[in-house]
Amino acid sequence: MSFTQIARNCGRLAATLGTKRMASGAVIQSQAFRMMHRIAVPAVANQVSQKFALRSYSAKRTIEDIKFRVLKVVSAYDKVTADKELASSRCRWQTQSVRRYSAKPPLSLKLINERVLLVLKLYDKIDPSKLNVESHFINDLGLDSLDHVEVIMAMEDEFGFEIPDSDAEKLLKPADIIKYVADKEDVYE
Amino acid sequence: MAQVPLAIVSHKRQVCSLYKRALRNLEAWYDRRNDYRYRAVQMRARFDENRNKDLGEGIRLLAVGQKELFETKHFQSRNFANSAGGCAFEREVIPPDWLLDYWHPLEKAQYPEYFAKREQRKKEYVIWWEKQHGKPDPKDLGHH
Repeated sequence: MSFTQIARNCGRLAATLGTKRMASGAVIQSQAFRMMHRIAVPAVANQVSQKFALRSYSAKRTIEDIKFRVLKVVSAYDKVTADKELASSRCRWQTQSVRRYSAKPPLSLKLINERVLLVLKLYDKIDPSKLNVESHFINDLGLDSLDHVEVIMAMEDEFGFEIPDSDAEKLLKPADIIKYVADKEDVYE
Repeated sequence: MAQVPLAIVSHKRQVCSLYKRALRNLEAWYDRRNDYRYRAVQMRARFDENRNKDLGEGIRLLAVGQKELFETKHFQSRNFANSAGGCAFEREVIPPDWLLDYWHPLEKAQYPEYFAKREQRKKEYVIWWEKQHGKPDPKDLGHH
């Protein structure tokens, strides 16, 4: 075995050890320790400034306050997990680990029912006490055809697809709308 | 194909359609919701004041309204993603249901419960069809 070969083997060994350490949680732990040190530095600085009456940028705090604050922050970092690490390093909206690939959240008949009824309850010309799944818009709830158009438009906006006029004129009850939306979105349970 | 007029459309439905398109046009012009609501209420009032006109006057007003809508049409109106003009129109291809019948038996065997249920459903559908439309004529059964 030549000298270069030995050197290369040593390098490989070091590399594998390094990756092993990277793979385990030890790195994260050591990062947490580093973070602790960073947090602790301003506290120490504040202490010093209090002692020597130097200028201090923050409001005056007692040692107890600082201790409490530091311990609180450190305890938050105490159980560092991968998602907490992500949450601290990135913005909150990026931490959602589930990718939806622009798919909608899953619908169920119950959810559609609730959403339809909520939209109808929020419509000012409908009396929520009279509203029922089986109540007819024009006969029972006293809407006219233009109000019905507005209701259908609200449903379009709620569920995000267009309802053509030929279908819209058949949707005269909340139950019809629920069934129509369920058919369109292929929801059957 | 729901947009293609296949029958004579009643006056009432034409007015409703005009109202809907007018509101969507306003929505395109006024992106602030409160501005849009203000204009929408005004538009509703304009429709309501002609509520009790006779049919001849109504037809004339409808033509005027359609002309006005055409003239005030937004240059880039908002569309729903999956409707014509939208960004995802006909982008999502949904494979037809009969495609499952052409799976290889080995592929079908991976989902035995589903395909057993599917065969059962097909039989039930045939029964339903025969109940609705009667037995098919034997000379129609083969390929033409």
